[in-house]
This record gives sequence, C-alpha cells and structure tokens, in this order.
Amino acid sequence: VGNLASMSTNGSLTFISFFSFALQSFRRFGNTLSEYFHLLWFWHRALKIIGANFGTSVLSYFIFLKWLLTFNIFSFLINFSFIIIPQFVAAEPNNLSFTGLELLTGAGYFQQTVLYYGFYTNATIHKIENGPSYNMQLAYIFTVGLYFVICFFTLLFSMAKSFCKNFMDLQTYSGNASKILCTWDFNISNEKAVKLKQKNLSTQIKVQNAGAAMLVLPIVASLLNAFIPFFYSWLGCLERYQTPGYHVYVTIIRNIILKISIVGILCYYWVNVVAESESQCWETLVGQDIYRLVLVDFIFCLLGSFFGEFLRRIIGTTFCVSLGLPEFDIGRNVLDLIYAQTLTWIGILFSPLLPGIQFISFSIVFYVKKVSLMMNCQPPRKVWKTAQMTTSFMFLLFFPSFVGVLSVIGVTVWRLKPSEECGPFRGLSSMYAAVSEWIKTLENHTASKWVVWIYHNLITSVLFFFILSVLAFGKNCLRHSHSSLKTKNYKDLESVVLLQIIGILLNTRQQAHEGNIDLNLLVNFVFRIPILAGSRTGLASHQVSTNC
Amino acid sequence: MGGSASLLPREALGEYQELTFLTKQEILLAYKRFSELLPKEERENACSARVPKSQILTLPELRANPFQHRICRVFSTSGNGDDSMSFEDFLDMLSVFSDSATLDIKSHYAFRIFDFDEDGTLDRSDLEKLVDCLTGQGEESRLSNAEMEQLIQNILEESDIDKDGTINLSEFQHVISRSPDFVSSFKIVL
Repeated sequence: VGNLASMSTNGSLTFISFFSFALQSFRRFGNTLSEYFHLLWFWHRALKIIGANFGTSVLSYFIFLKWLLTFNIFSFLINFSFIIIPQFVAAEPNNLSFTGLELLTGAGYFQQTVLYYGFYTNATIHKIENGPSYNMQLAYIFTVGLYFVICFFTLLFSMAKSFCKNFMDLQTYSGNASKILCTWDFNISNEKAVKLKQKNLSTQIKVQNAGAAMLVLPIVASLLNAFIPFFYSWLGCLERYQTPGYHVYVTIIRNIILKISIVGILCYYWVNVVAESESQCWETLVGQDIYRLVLVDFIFCLLGSFFGEFLRRIIGTTFCVSLGLPEFDIGRNVLDLIYAQTLTWIGILFSPLLPGIQFISFSIVFYVKKVSLMMNCQPPRKVWKTAQMTTSFMFLLFFPSFVGVLSVIGVTVWRLKPSEECGPFRGLSSMYAAVSEWIKTLENHTASKWVVWIYHNLITSVLFFFILSVLAFGKNCLRHSHSSLKTKNYKDLESVVLLQIIGILLNTRQQAHEGNIDLNLLVNFVFRIPILAGSRTGLASHQVSTNC
Repeated sequence: MGGSASLLPREALGEYQELTFLTKQEILLAYKRFSELLPKEERENACSARVPKSQILTLPELRANPFQHRICRVFSTSGNGDDSMSFEDFLDMLSVFSDSATLDIKSHYAFRIFDFDEDGTLDRSDLEKLVDCLTGQGEESRLSNAEMEQLIQNILEESDIDKDGTINLSEFQHVISRSPDFVSSFKIVL
C-alpha cells in the first residue's frame, strides 16, 4: 500500500512538473507567435490610428474586441480540423433545396449541413479497409472540452495579470491633484485631439479647485438610492470616484443584470423545455435558436452604431447644435461584445461552425465601429480609468459569462439525454457516457492503464483542478505585480510560495493515501521549475536603480 | 519594410534586441523611419549619423506632443547641447516608450522629462511648467495665477512626503504607482 501511495504522489509531482513545463513552452510559443502576428499590419495600423486620435480608453474597446476574435478563430480552427473535416469525409448527401430564407432562419437547407449538431455521425469513420479509424463521439466531446479548458486557463491567466497589475498596489485612492502628474496620454498624436485634451484637463482642474465637483456625487447617489437600493451598499464598497466614473459603473451594472436575465431565461428554456420535448433533434433546434440570436444581435449592433452614432451626429450638428458630437460609449459596447461571446460559447456544442460565423461578424463590427468612430465621434471628455475598467471587463467575461456557460454546458453534457436519431451521441444515456464507456474499454488493455489512472485520479478530482487554478492564478499574479516584491529576490519568493502551495497539495494527497512524501523528490521538483526572464536596462545610462 | 533589413547589420540588430525592450520588427521599423529623417546622402551611415532636433520634431508621433522639447533633451546624448539624436538615442527613446518597458524605467524617465531645470527634483517652477504643458498655451485653457497656486499647493500637499517643498524621484514613483493607467499612456509606438 505504501508503494502505491508513494507512486501516486510521484505521479502527481511528475504530472505537475510536466504541466508547468508545458505552460512555459506554451507561453514562449505564444510570444513567438505574437511576433509573427505583428505581420498582420492591418490591425496594427487601425489600432494605432484609433489610439492616436481618441486615446487609450476608446482603444481598450478595440483591443478587447481583437482579443475575443482570437478566441473565436482558435475555436473555429480546432473544430474545423477535428470535427468538420472528418464529417465531410463521412457525409451523407443533402436532399434539401436551398432558398435564400435559410440565411435568416438557419433552418431548412442548413439542417443537413455541418452547421448543426444533428448532421454529425455517431459512427467510427473508416476510410481505408483495416486502416486507422476515427471515433466521432470522442472527437466531438474532447475537442469541445479541450477548447473550454484552454479558454478557462487563458481567462484565468489574463485576469490574474490584469488584476494584479492594476488593483494590487492601490492603497487608499486619495490625491486627485497629484494624479495630474500621470494623466498625459502620450499615444495621442492628432493636434486637434491634443488641444481638446488640454482643454478638458484645464476645465477639470478649474472645477476641482472650485469644489463644484463635490456636489455631483451626492446628487447622483440620492437619485440612484431611490431606484436601486440593493446595489448602493455594494457600490459603496468600491472606491469613491468624484468623477462621472461612478455613474458609468452603475449604468453598466444595470445593463449586465438585464443581459444575464435574458441569457439565463433562454438557457432555462432550452434545458428544461426544448431538451425534454419529444422533438426529433432538439440539439439542432437549440443550435438554430442560437444562430438566430447571434444574427439578430449582430444586426442590432450595426443598427446601434447607425442610430447611436451616425444619426446622433447628424442631429447634433444640424438640428440641435448644443448636443454636439456623440462620444463613443465604451461600457455599452463592451457589454454587447461579452453578450455576443457568451452566446457563441453556449452555441459551440450545438453548432460547431458558430465561432467561424462569430469571427466574421466581429471582424465586420470592428471595421464598422472604427469607421463610425472616425466619422461621427469626438474623443472622450470624462476621465476613464482604462486599466481598471479593462480588468473589470475581463472579470465580467469570466464570471458570470464563462462560468455561466460552463455550467450550462456541464448540465447538457452530464444530465441531458441526447436525441435518439441524430448527432454523434445518439443512443447514449448522456453525452458524457461516450467518455466513460471508452474508459471502460481501456481498462481491459494493460498498456493503457495510465490513461485510466489519470482519468480516475486527476480529471475527476475536483480538488486537483481547484488547486491547479489557484497555483496558476498566484504564479501569474506574482509575475505581473508592480509591487516592490519585484526585486532580484522575487524568484526565490516565488519558489517559496509555490513550495507552500505544493505542500498543501501534497498534504491533502497524503491524507487521502496515507503515504510518505519523498523529500528528495520534492526538493528536486522545486529546482526544476524554469527560471523566468531577468531584467533589462536601457542602452545609455544604466543608473536606473531602485534606490530610495 | 523590405530593403532596410539588409542595411542594418545583423550583429547590431541582435545587440539592440538584447539591450532594449524593442522587438526585431520594432527596431527595423525605427531604422526605416530614422533614415527617412536623414538627407539622401547620409542614409548609408544611418547608424552613426545624428539627426537635428528640428527633423526629429517632424515625426507625427512627436509633432503634437506638448513635451516634445523635453523628450529630445532627455534622450539626446549630444555633447554640444543642440539636442540632436543619433540612432541609438532614438532607439533608447522608443525602448522607454515601448509596450514592454517596466514601470520603473518609465517612471524614471517621466521624472527626468518633467524636471525642466534638471536639478534632480520637481520644484514649484517645474510643476508650473508641467501644468502649462498639460493645459496648453491657449487663452481659455491657461490657468490663472491663483488657480495655479492652488493646484501646486494641492499637489505638494498630497505627494511631498518629506515636506521639503519639492518632489524627488521616490515620491514621484510613489504617486505613479497609484495610477495603473500610467503604463499604457506613457507609450509611443511607431
């Protein structure tokens, strides 16, 4: 028994060290890849023009949009390679006719194409006799599952980096006057934008000096207190901005509640009503619903740009000149993006082509918003805490959006019965049954016992995933924190923190297995952690020391 | 972008990559833009040529910047005070203003840029000139004397920890550390 226990702790250690190494190489690969992405000159030029004319706050919306684009293109590529191409190989002919109406409704001709779950076969595909076979069921569930795991860790890392860079060092947020030392946006290179910014800063200083800004907050607070008492106490915990930023937060939260309610009600309807109904292929029905939602949302986004920016500019310059040019509403636009991405994530399981469609729609939105911005909007007047808002958007993307999606997908995969007549999981009791049955067949082969072991001890171990997430979050947070911990000794500190976390992990495993921890193995593992990049200094004077 | 790659020697490129925060593409683009500022005859020896300040200020990224003169003064290594920049000075500047430069480096150089009289601290006159740059020289946006006094009083109250009437580097860095937007706004990308 002792041997088995120590073997399992050894196994855990080797797996974790392998995982850590894999993460490091993945990150290095990501860095080299982003160097080559630089060749996508179009993005660089477009983003630079936007930043030069409107500043970093509006730029953050477009960078967020670009980031979501990469999620979708990645999903499309892996779906295409692992699910769609094999399905093309094993496709049945499509008997339905194509009329133009299908583009809007998603039904009809499209039902017998790779667009929807229902078309996919549940067979193991053999192209050559006695050649390699391709199990469609496992491919479908593993591709979607792997994509969500990668999304999960990507979001976790980005959140850690953003949160620790932008929130950790904020002590008491006082000092409005000294903020002036760090407000100048060096990105702006358009003369008119520079003059506008100077004028705004001047107005801000004068108003601050006069103390008039002090009155705005209590008035807004009383109004909101009358309407949303529930949120006021929670918002009171946030830092008190004496600028209209406070008002922006409240508006965004109202919008979030509205969108969460919509998505929540839809998911409830899909899971409880559509899935239980006796219809022929409920997954395809859900897929069609989501396709229509995505399409309508895309149209409304374009319309919103037309009415909210183009018409508003016409009104503001010809009929009602006191209104002036509209400003780009960053909060509302980012929430629309998050809503669209949430729909896409829910829809991946039911419509594998959806990320590709969403990629095209986001690209069009990028172009339309950019043109609308240049033609119709003026640079923002209010102070917008870009870094903190970006972190908040990422948090919103993670909770409730991504976590909500994971729960819906989890319920679908584990609890719902796939339809009998269509799709790769027809006939099974649940989609997950494909994996558990596969594991059962593997248990009979002695060569694959390690896969079964991983499945039983790691994948099904919730504790393992929780600790892995904490580890990932903490390690990435330390790496990106701006605090004074980032001295020469921080690598040692990082190792100590990691050691503590590993100690906790091993302690719990030990309690489970009552084995012994091999101290040599532990020490060996700590020194195998790859060392992160060192510091760099400038070409000229190297007197940049952290002296006090 | 194609031809310039052959003009910048590879060892120099590797060295610049090591010593600055810039990527290979950024260095090559900087080389291209720098040689465009030189007259045609001098473009062969772009690495050792010096570009006069008036030419540097024609760059669109610096043309409208209120701190353009200070930036040229801080990054120029010209001994005779004419603020001309060599290619290495130019790279140094881009490195500090790049995406990957650390907060320490940026705040150090921001301090030097704001230190108009170059005495190592930000005293009242430095802060006055700084505020003038930020609000512009137009009639409407200039601050009156009383408003300027009030503002500088507030700034010194909040940031001058040792109460010596000036802001030194560590007090400045302390203020910067409380503003997470600084790193993304203190950026110039070609």
